Amino acid sequence: MTTAAGLASERAGGWRRFRRPFLAALVLGALVWWSAALCRVSLDELGPALVKGIEVGGFFLPPDWRALPELLQPALVTMLLAAVATPLGLALSIGFGLAGARNLAPEWLRMPARWLIGIERALPELITLLLLVAALGIGPFPGVMALAIGSIGMLGKLIADAIEEIDPRVLESVESVGATRWQTIRHAVLPEIMPGLLANTIFRFEVNVRSSVLLGAAGAGGIGFELNKAMSMLEYERAMTAILVTLALVFGAERLSDFLRRRVLDGGKLK
Amino acid sequence: MLYVENLSKSLPNGRVLLDRVSFSVKPGEFVGILGASGAGKSLTLRCVLGLTRPDSGRARLVTSNGTEFDLTGASGRRLREARRRMGVIFQGFHLVKRLRVLDNVMIGRLGEISPWRSWFYGFTDREAAGAFEALRCVKMESCAERVTGTLSGGEMQRVAIARAMFQQPELFLADEPIASLDPSNSLAIMKLLRPLAAATPVVGVFHQPEMTARFCTRVIAIKHGRIIYDGAPELSHAKLEEIYGNELMEVLRPAPVAPAPAPSPEPAHSAGLELAKLA
Amino acid sequence: MSAAVSAVPAVPPYVLPSDQLRRRLGGFLAVAVFLVGSGAFLGFKPWLLITDFHYIVKLAAEMVPPNLALLWEKTTLRASVAETVAMAFLGTLVGGFAALGLAFFAAANTAPHPAVRAVVRALFQFERATPNLITALVLLVAVGFGPFAGFLALTIGSLGMFGKLFSDAIEQVDTGPTEAVASVGATRWQVIRFAILPQVLPSVVGNVFYAFDVNLRLAIALGIYGAGGLGFELQLAMKVLRYPDVLALVLLIVVLITAMERVSDFLRRRLIGHDTLK
Repeated sequence: MTTAAGLASERAGGWRRFRRPFLAALVLGALVWWSAALCRVSLDELGPALVKGIEVGGFFLPPDWRALPELLQPALVTMLLAAVATPLGLALSIGFGLAGARNLAPEWLRMPARWLIGIERALPELITLLLLVAALGIGPFPGVMALAIGSIGMLGKLIADAIEEIDPRVLESVESVGATRWQTIRHAVLPEIMPGLLANTIFRFEVNVRSSVLLGAAGAGGIGFELNKAMSMLEYERAMTAILVTLALVFGAERLSDFLRRRVLDGGKLK
Repeated sequence: MLYVENLSKSLPNGRVLLDRVSFSVKPGEFVGILGASGAGKSLTLRCVLGLTRPDSGRARLVTSNGTEFDLTGASGRRLREARRRMGVIFQGFHLVKRLRVLDNVMIGRLGEISPWRSWFYGFTDREAAGAFEALRCVKMESCAERVTGTLSGGEMQRVAIARAMFQQPELFLADEPIASLDPSNSLAIMKLLRPLAAATPVVGVFHQPEMTARFCTRVIAIKHGRIIYDGAPELSHAKLEEIYGNELMEVLRPAPVAPAPAPSPEPAHSAGLELAKLA
Repeated sequence: MSAAVSAVPAVPPYVLPSDQLRRRLGGFLAVAVFLVGSGAFLGFKPWLLITDFHYIVKLAAEMVPPNLALLWEKTTLRASVAETVAMAFLGTLVGGFAALGLAFFAAANTAPHPAVRAVVRALFQFERATPNLITALVLLVAVGFGPFAGFLALTIGSLGMFGKLFSDAIEQVDTGPTEAVASVGATRWQVIRFAILPQVLPSVVGNVFYAFDVNLRLAIALGIYGAGGLGFELQLAMKVLRYPDVLALVLLIVVLITAMERVSDFLRRRLIGHDTLK
């Protein structure tokens, strides 16, 4: 992939060199065309849509600042939903992670555990929320549970993989003093995975805040719900305020997460 | 006291790994097990520890108050109780690198503590003090708060010995404890192990006949899975040649019993180690 | 050996387990108080899991057996699947291309002017921070319901996701090839094409495939909000309370996402492994 050679051979070789990339480009082009048709992408419509978009954009400004105090509580709700769901999700994930590790769990437990983790990863949280809301009605409980369950796909897999990577001889060494399996987990496994796990959990909190916004509109409450409500009631200035509050919230969560993660990784904390 | 009786094990293809290995060890003895790569030394140790099952024969541990443990046949709870009474150190130390040195020593006591307590309460101050004493015995007390992963090889091995000592076992087992260490550290470790033997028997697998000649009270030599020598630690050149065969020139140094530490042996035997560690 | 009965030294040179325990307990207590307090504030009733569990069971009973016949009977379903995948595919691709192009304006070593760089970077930052929901809702109003809005939302979202990644990658290239190509008298665009692009391409491709997986899930979520595709079908089934249909659709979604993940994994390995890109 050197530059001079690339230039030279491109000029020198026949059309054969281009065959593979050419075919790939063709396939890609076909897919793009087909997708565009499916999405009803219409370039003629784009022009007027852009104009309409700008016009609509005008409705959003100026933001309705009087709505700001009422929107602070929902913002707090959104953040707290994520804050409560993350430790819960961590607890669940540790269970699944332990059950999914080759060097700890018996095979009859490991396969179903890994399988469930995989399925959960493919299940968008919104769907989990809708199902829970269908069963239990709207409220914070389905929201928290949807977020917590949603973490299992990511954290559970991470934990199971991290446990499997532990040096088996260290586990053997702790067992040689007469420790039980659970003691080995507590004293050899947990310390090894703790720092990485904590960092990932904090990251997951940040992800959960964003998800919480998305789920909010579907019934979990919080600022997402307020935003959706404002939009559907055509109160666009109010929606704009909600958007700004959301941006501030997400930004704040990101800063917090960065700060905590740096503390954890530098301090090498182990509980 | 340790009784090893007729341990035998072969591979499915017929190759014999252990052939009626038998010996017994009592307090006051520091036994060094020597042998060429793949001879069966480490395998014997793993059978005693219950990490590997022999095809036939057994190993028994009889404690000072008369309790007897069947090491090769035990499993689960019984095996754990037996392991509690054996302090083991490994060639690769295998300590939990993220924990503090003191925590690693305290792990030695896990066999005595109930899982509930160790999960939710942790160790007691008394146990920490005892672990600290053990560290003092191996002269590592100044490192009690350090993260174990930052220590050197020799220091880690000393911590491993402290852990084994903290167990207050009936028997010490060492699987090539000095193979990964440089000469001065090897000497330090051997000097630590020797006094332990006065009260508690120590059985170690070694690759350094000059070390066993100098520090052990008794040497057992294994060749092709069979014991070919069991007696005084000083071995004649002819005997060494019988034990090591072709490897002798790599293993041997100019002055076997010189006061100055000899250059460390070639780690070419590590391949044989893998073979000997077959399940 | 005197480890048997030892008095604790007056000022031990190590952290006492009892102190550690106290600290740990304090930490746990703080977290517990926070959780319980927040839970109370939110009205989060974890005991509902037990008391209302029968509702979940009831729902599950209504969903089983899943109406798998739906999958081949309902012809519009195939179009919906295609719509969802197309949304994700196109959104990722267009967003990726646009991001790559813009990233050159945002990277310190290829930006024509620092002011331009600052503007583009700010744009990326803004888009990264904007949750997809907001973009989608605004677009739904602007272009109406349907996959076009979804595609645009995903494109914009991908722009934000990729922008920072790509510009960072560009900034981190080896300067050797750049200097080599520049020294034979190439223009800025030629330098980019022959020196920078080849170095950046593997990570770009990798990120694009990862983004596709993420966008596929988002496409479904946005569909629930009105962007069409499978998401729309799902929320429709829920609205009319046809729960066996719901379960069938959920299973379809799970299978689709898993299958797409495999495909994208395979393609990515082929692409980055073989370096077939010019």
